[in-house]
Amino acid sequence: MTAIFAVVKRLLASNKVSYIITVLVVLCATSSGDVVLSNGNYTWLLAVLTPFFFVHYDFTKLMHLGASKKDYFLGCLISYGFLAFCISLANTIIHLWIDPLYAASTVINMMDVCKWTENGMIVAGLQQMLFLLLVMVFLHMLLSMQAHWYGWLADAALVAVICIFTPIAPLRAILAGFFRIVMLNSSAIPHICICLLLSAALSLGGLVVLKRKTL
Amino acid sequence: MIELKQVTKQYGQATVLKSVTLSIDEPGIYCLLGRNGAGKTTLLKSIAGYQNITKGIIQVNGKAITTSTMDTGVSYIENFAKHFNLPVRKLLRIAAELNPRYDYDFASEMMERFELDGKKKFNHLSLGMKTMVSTIISLASNKEVILLDEPVLGFDAMMRVEFYDMLTESFQKHPRILIISTHIIEEIAKTIQKLIIIDKGSIRFFDTLQSIESKAFCISGLQKDVEAATQNLHIIGRETVGGLSTIYIFDQPPQQTASLEIQPLSLQDFFIKMVGHKGGSIK
Repeated sequence: MTAIFAVVKRLLASNKVSYIITVLVVLCATSSGDVVLSNGNYTWLLAVLTPFFFVHYDFTKLMHLGASKKDYFLGCLISYGFLAFCISLANTIIHLWIDPLYAASTVINMMDVCKWTENGMIVAGLQQMLFLLLVMVFLHMLLSMQAHWYGWLADAALVAVICIFTPIAPLRAILAGFFRIVMLNSSAIPHICICLLLSAALSLGGLVVLKRKTL
Repeated sequence: MIELKQVTKQYGQATVLKSVTLSIDEPGIYCLLGRNGAGKTTLLKSIAGYQNITKGIIQVNGKAITTSTMDTGVSYIENFAKHFNLPVRKLLRIAAELNPRYDYDFASEMMERFELDGKKKFNHLSLGMKTMVSTIISLASNKEVILLDEPVLGFDAMMRVEFYDMLTESFQKHPRILIISTHIIEEIAKTIQKLIIIDKGSIRFFDTLQSIESKAFCISGLQKDVEAATQNLHIIGRETVGGLSTIYIFDQPPQQTASLEIQPLSLQDFFIKMVGHKGGSIK
């Protein structure tokens, strides 16, 4: 356990660039008019940036310090969980205390857009946390695959799905249905279960990729 | 224990390791010697599980090693290993947290001995100092197998002497398998127990230095006398100029006669004969 927590500590400590960019964007983002975007939305940026550093910056260095792939894998999962909790907490606090301070009549926060707030703020925070965990695990797997042919194939498949499914109405409905399940879902329990299941499946996918990873 | 059975590694059409079979049973300091491109790094990285082999089996303490092995028990360090840009002392501390069997006292002692500034960040160190930090981290990890790839590159003469002392001390403290690949043969000779010579992807030699001392000779004299004396011996090289001949053998030396000059081969000459031209193969 000590080694895993040492990995967690190092992963979180070497993620400073992501923290700085996120904090700057959250603090500096402005919008005007009757309808404004909540600054809390930009906390999600951390979930997008973090996997880049974990995969492309930290892995090799941790291996050279003597970490095992097992410790790295578990360390990444714990770190994603912790960061998802922190991001969710930050956005929830901003939504509860900062958003009402806006003079604008409508402040758009992703927690509302995704209909999670219909279940109360605690459950909404949990839904947000698990969704962000899913995003980070997905990005981690996708980024880890980039060194292999199947990574490029996955990129091409994602682009193709978006390009083909968006303009064709029946396919668009499928795509919209997918996002309604994993993101724009007001039913807390199914949403939490879906996020957990997909995160577990993608983690296993990430493990398979990690097992093929060379140095 | 390291066991390689019929290990082949191909990069596209190029075969870098050719059906290598090798068994290292005992703890010791082993020197891996080979020319540039002989397959040293590929061999070490494969044993560390940093890359997969094309054919064959690699086992370390009975555990099959591939990139899928989540905990290999092997520490591999190359001379351009990247580390977090942190102060040296902090790097050593992080390494201690990551390795349950890490010997932090040894690492600290070595840091002092090599006059490494603990407050200096890794990226601000010279190449030699960076390699030294990597080497200390690897040796202090106390993993069952330590693989050091060209560790003395960038070291000055003093650092190399200290490095060989450090290897010996580390081994005496925690006997385990240490494999060091290098080009500087003579210097490491006093430190190592066995020598592995690799050439063009094949193991040419794997034995003790004592066997080289007792069997590697250069026999010079008139061609007919030298030819007659070395008949049925294992010849690893020959040179003929006019009527004079020099034959290099790895065998029991022939009887000393007035017409023959028999001299032991230096380690470097032995290596050159093994991997140079017209060489033999000894396993």
